[in-house]
Amino acid sequence: MKRAAVLVLVLAAAFASAATKRSVSFDSNLPVLGTRFHSLPAGKGKQQVEASCFPCHSADMLVQQRLTEKQWTAEVDKMIRWGAVMKESDKTAAVAYLVRNFGPANKFTPVRTRPAGY
Amino acid sequence: MAQKAVTPRARESMLQMNGYAVNAETPLALLTEYVTPNELFFVRSHWIPRTPDPKKWRLTIDGEVDRSGDITLSELKKLPQAETTCVLQCAGNGRGLYSPTLPGVQWRYGAVGNARWTGVRVRDVLERAGVKPSAKHLHVFGSDDPPGKVPPFHRSIELEKVLADGILAFAMNGEPLPVAHGAPLRLIVPGWAGDHWMKWIVRLSPQAEAQKGFYMETAYRYPLTPGAPGVAFKPEEMAPVTELFVKSNITTAPAKVRAKHACEIRGFAFSGAPDIAKVEISDDDGATWQETSLDPRHDPYAWRLWSYHWTPSRSGTVRLCARATDSRGNVQPREATWNQSGYLQNSWHFVDVEVTA
Repeated sequence: MKRAAVLVLVLAAAFASAATKRSVSFDSNLPVLGTRFHSLPAGKGKQQVEASCFPCHSADMLVQQRLTEKQWTAEVDKMIRWGAVMKESDKTAAVAYLVRNFGPANKFTPVRTRPAGY
Repeated sequence: MAQKAVTPRARESMLQMNGYAVNAETPLALLTEYVTPNELFFVRSHWIPRTPDPKKWRLTIDGEVDRSGDITLSELKKLPQAETTCVLQCAGNGRGLYSPTLPGVQWRYGAVGNARWTGVRVRDVLERAGVKPSAKHLHVFGSDDPPGKVPPFHRSIELEKVLADGILAFAMNGEPLPVAHGAPLRLIVPGWAGDHWMKWIVRLSPQAEAQKGFYMETAYRYPLTPGAPGVAFKPEEMAPVTELFVKSNITTAPAKVRAKHACEIRGFAFSGAPDIAKVEISDDDGATWQETSLDPRHDPYAWRLWSYHWTPSRSGTVRLCARATDSRGNVQPREATWNQSGYLQNSWHFVDVEVTA
């Protein structure tokens, strides 16, 4: 009788476990997804890049890019068409900064995070 | 390009590509379940949504319909429910693996997942409004319009496709659709790339013509004829990205194993076709292939998990790769076709394993 009761309990526990949503355990020391992690490296052109790009992008978007001067110029021109504010006289320094720091040889590692609430 | 060996169980985390707007991929080693948990599901956002109070939210239907109007969420939920389990993959998943390199979010492997989506059929919603025969495209609008001159993420999809199997989902894996995944309503387009899976939907508008704008006429297009890597195709030389390409990834492989000792290799495979016919593994750079075991769990356009007991015959660094063949006979290529926006990357996935004597 006792054995039967234990079996029922074990089966009930197994069933409950199967029916329960899998609990995803994240490392609570990880930063929360959506945190802005990166800052831009120092150098000529940084100020122009921050002023023009940061209204819509976090630095993360820039630091993961690996683009040639031609590609960066096209991106900057596209963003100016889309409303980014950048003086024509600042463009050369901004593009040079982006190529110098985030050219084709740039390395990027995504940041390990946990969703908010986990 | 080979990946380092995948550990059987990494510590759980999401790999953030962008903090604002939020973009994050799932570590491949965690994509081992048939249904990807919501918390581990990749997040792709073009812009910041204005998530409405569900009580105040309305879905506006206008355009080439007999009866324009608004539907509340509770009215929508009274329609017959529809459910499907299928793969969602960002069109740009793998962009970071293309060479020459490309601008945009540098996704590698994990902008993909398989979830159970619950909602109502697009067909049922549009039938209430009475779609006119002139309508051929469904224009879809979300609440994530950007400021100023930044092009809004406005899209359209062929009406024929969404009437066939499109779902407006309000639940994901049995839970209310999370905000990051488009609450209160997202479009589910089984077998098609994620750019069609609009989030935070507020308006549907059947129209005679396709939507115009940057995200239809410039972005999300794929070359009609392959060209050399680095070539810049004109928009008219490309067509909109639609169906996913056949693809498999290795999720589980030991970092180190002894020669002549069996170990388990696992992964997933999916396609724009409703099913996967086979997944094969090679340990000699594709000279010979061994067929893996497909997991019986499947729904149309869902992924297939696969596994293979591999016994390495020689010591040294052994490069494993997987390739899938779908139910229409499409075979995953060694090299994906380069395209200037980095879409639909589906090259063979290589993983290095250290085999000791």
